Amino acid sequence: MGLILKEVKKNYGEKKAVDNITFSLDKPGVFGLLGTNGAGKTTTIRMLLGILKKDGGEITWNGQTVERKHVNFGYLPEERGVYPKVKIYDQLMYFAELKGMKKQEADRAIHEWAKVLKVEEYLPMNAEKLSKGNGQKIQFMTAVIHNPELIVLDEPFSGLDPVNTEILKNVIIDLVSKGKYIIMSAHQMATIEEFCTNILILNQGKTVLQGNLKEIKDTYPANRAEIDVEQDIRSSIQKYDLTIENEVNHHYTIKIEEEEKVHQLLRDLVENKIKVNQFEIKKPTLNDIFIEKVERGVK
Amino acid sequence: MKDLKTVMSFTIKDMIKRKSFVISTILILVLIVIGFNIPNIIKAVKGEDQGDKLLVIDRQNEFEGTLENLKQMNLGYDIEIASENYTDEQIKEKIDEEEIKSALIIEPENQTIKVRYLLKNTTMMEQVPETLQRSIQSLYTNLQIGKLGLTQEQLQSLTPNFNFSLEQTEEQKASGNVFAMMILSLVLFYAIYFCAYQVSSSITTEKTSKIMETLVTSTSPRTIVLGKTIGIGIVGLIQMILIVATALISAKLFLEPGMIESLLDMSNVTPYLGIITIVYFILGYFAYALLYALTGSTVSKPEDIQSANTPVALLAVVGFYLSYFTMMNPTSELNGFASLFPISSPFCMPFRIMMGLASTTDVMISIAILVVTILIIARVAIKIYSNAILNYGSKMNLRDLIKMARDKNA
Repeated sequence: MGLILKEVKKNYGEKKAVDNITFSLDKPGVFGLLGTNGAGKTTTIRMLLGILKKDGGEITWNGQTVERKHVNFGYLPEERGVYPKVKIYDQLMYFAELKGMKKQEADRAIHEWAKVLKVEEYLPMNAEKLSKGNGQKIQFMTAVIHNPELIVLDEPFSGLDPVNTEILKNVIIDLVSKGKYIIMSAHQMATIEEFCTNILILNQGKTVLQGNLKEIKDTYPANRAEIDVEQDIRSSIQKYDLTIENEVNHHYTIKIEEEEKVHQLLRDLVENKIKVNQFEIKKPTLNDIFIEKVERGVK
Repeated sequence: MKDLKTVMSFTIKDMIKRKSFVISTILILVLIVIGFNIPNIIKAVKGEDQGDKLLVIDRQNEFEGTLENLKQMNLGYDIEIASENYTDEQIKEKIDEEEIKSALIIEPENQTIKVRYLLKNTTMMEQVPETLQRSIQSLYTNLQIGKLGLTQEQLQSLTPNFNFSLEQTEEQKASGNVFAMMILSLVLFYAIYFCAYQVSSSITTEKTSKIMETLVTSTSPRTIVLGKTIGIGIVGLIQMILIVATALISAKLFLEPGMIESLLDMSNVTPYLGIITIVYFILGYFAYALLYALTGSTVSKPEDIQSANTPVALLAVVGFYLSYFTMMNPTSELNGFASLFPISSPFCMPFRIMMGLASTTDVMISIAILVVTILIIARVAIKIYSNAILNYGSKMNLRDLIKMARDKNA
């Protein structure tokens, strides 16, 4: 059950925009779809929403082939847009009705969501008067107003200030707790790491990495150490042939090739009675993995 | 079907709430009311119109006092027969001071009678008004004949009543006022063209404001194109009906009875013509609106809209002029062709019906051709629209569009 994409393809002329990608969402949660610009994310999203015909493969939702008329999906596109000269309430009502809601039901949902996203005061205004962030929240409302089971969010946090980012994060957590399936595409890897259990990285239309995020990270050896001390320890670090990647106020980020060498460094520091505030051996971040995978793909 | 209704009502609400639409409609209606009031306004400013004041001076009493009869001849002048023999300078002064508009000076010269017509500026005139010439001549002839003491029969034989009439040998006969028909054609052209153009502008707005992606995930492209086209068409039709109704009511309220009839042959304005005009407005609108939907969907930036719409504008202008110029010769084969050719038939057929030139079969054939054309345009337009709306790259060329139209997947 859930969403299944099997060997999905799309060509634009000679160019393979999406080349045989396969993934599935079998239980509620957030799935991260990653890739550089032009990697094929939007094409994949458009195909799974049924607004673009695929050239091959199969996409099913709860066992049924995805077609526009069969699906009840919500979509926040990367290209933000609202009708500039139409009242916010009227356009939300328009989209709610197009998604099959009755007027009364839509009215209730509009006010509920406006309260959650703190945009109630903007409902009677024309959209052209909205700030970018508020416009984005309104568009998020059009994606979720009809209570869809599958929600696709393309760059949901771009352009939001920290307060609004927090509001939206809580909304997404709440949606997952209500059993929604969410596909999220984002360039900020930290956001993906925060929400996603499973990910897929696309590069030039091909899958370069996919699976459970924790399992993926576990397969990578530690590659950095963070050490926070109260004095200069450059000479000690150099003694063990380690490379300093960054240093700010005696907070060192050290590149690791052999983990044992960092342990020796720590012992050395303790023996020399240097006060160590923090010592942490780190696995690569999703950002590191992403860059490594994409760069390898380019090479 | 429910989605189509939703798109339609949203489009209608959006259109009629636009300030530009409300202001332009009110402005047109006000202009119509003012237009029909122009005769009343002139009358109010200048006082009751009795015609321009014409002073007639018979220097040597050639007419023996019979010039008074000119006043009964309804020549459109406020005639005054001079009681004293004004000099040319005095007359010029009267004209300069606008006491009189013009003067007619009659004086003998050798064996003839010289009649001079004086007015401030002769730029707009080529000769002395024919009505004046004729009246003066007939007045003088009657005066002289009266002196001969002829019998009634003799008098009648000298002044026969000729009845001139114009007839053609060709069987097909056009009736009605070509000028009035041209106005109908022109109104139809502007109504169709401007309403259809709104479709393009509405689609481009959706595309450039990036709302399109949200919209196509909410309903099908076919529903969007048709809903939008029908919605704008309904607004256009209501606007047209409003304009025509205002014109008719204004004509009834503000014009003197018989004034319209003296300009137009109202016998040809029948309910059938009204229905046919509305049918051709709707069909013509659909043909051009769908073409505009096609071009509107290919544009990503507002500045490209003009160039993308040029081919449709050219087509409309060619269609319009094809019917407009052939109206000068309504029985020509070219005008017949224009009434069947789908790009010109909406502007031409109502005219031919008004002229009494089109049979029911002609009308049926013309409508059938137009409907088939609309179906073909709709199919291609929806296909291209479905593909083009999600394209935000550079402007598409004809090759891209042909490829899209042939795309079986779309």
